[in-house]
Amino acid sequence: MSYNRSANLANEDTPERENARAIRARQRAIGRELRRMYDSVAQEGIPSEFLDLLKKIDETSAKKGP
Amino acid sequence: MRPDTHTTQTGRSETPDDFRSELLALIPFLRAFARSLCGNPETADDLAQETLVKAWQSRDTFIPGTNLKAWLFTILRNQFYSDRRRAWRQAPWDQESAERIPGTREDQTWAAELSDTARALRCLSDEQREALILVGAGGFSYEDAAAICHCAVGTVKSRVARARRALINILDGNDSLGGVERPAEGDAAKEIMSQLDALMPAQKSDHKKEG
Repeated sequence: MSYNRSANLANEDTPERENARAIRARQRAIGRELRRMYDSVAQEGIPSEFLDLLKKIDETSAKKGP
Repeated sequence: MRPDTHTTQTGRSETPDDFRSELLALIPFLRAFARSLCGNPETADDLAQETLVKAWQSRDTFIPGTNLKAWLFTILRNQFYSDRRRAWRQAPWDQESAERIPGTREDQTWAAELSDTARALRCLSDEQREALILVGAGGFSYEDAAAICHCAVGTVKSRVARARRALINILDGNDSLGGVERPAEGDAAKEIMSQLDALMPAQKSDHKKEG
């Protein structure tokens, strides 16, 4: 089982390797948090001001013609 | 050909409706990138809206079939830096505003509601922050991120690596949170120089008046 295997490896590891692994784990956690922050804005949906703005753009380009 | 079909510079045609619907679909990502650059949600949405207008105005320069998202992010990033240069020029320089840098009180109140990682992100240099967000959160390749940031691929790679190390240092309390930013290693001198550059025009004009 992968859980046991990684536990055994951890026991054999030098402090340096453990430290490097800990840093990688931290970086993965930070990466997840960054994606969560970014996605949480992206998933908010489109605020009405943006739709109003697009409507204005449509009206302006309709006036100018093709 | 439909009357509303326009031909782009490359000779390929794309209806304004196609471009418009793709633009609409990418608004959420524009907002997310803007938020990560500006921090403040209101400023970020203003920036994303400016980008939308700019993108529509320059739609004829977009080459169909290329990465529209990267094209939009490039416009947004350029707009962010040009807005900020303008803000620097317009801001009167005095001790009070010096003490408020980098954020206004409004920004700080808002920052208090952020997660530790989000606050730590504000302490990075702009260059490190944008590289990390594009690659680490936006899912861009190093190549696309380099194109968006107008720099070499290797530069993006080293900025992302330094940003990751700096974030861990800040989160571990080895670096100040919420203070004036203290970028890691080689960026420090560059950062100070860019801050000096921003101050110089005001000082030069003062000298002229005296002389």
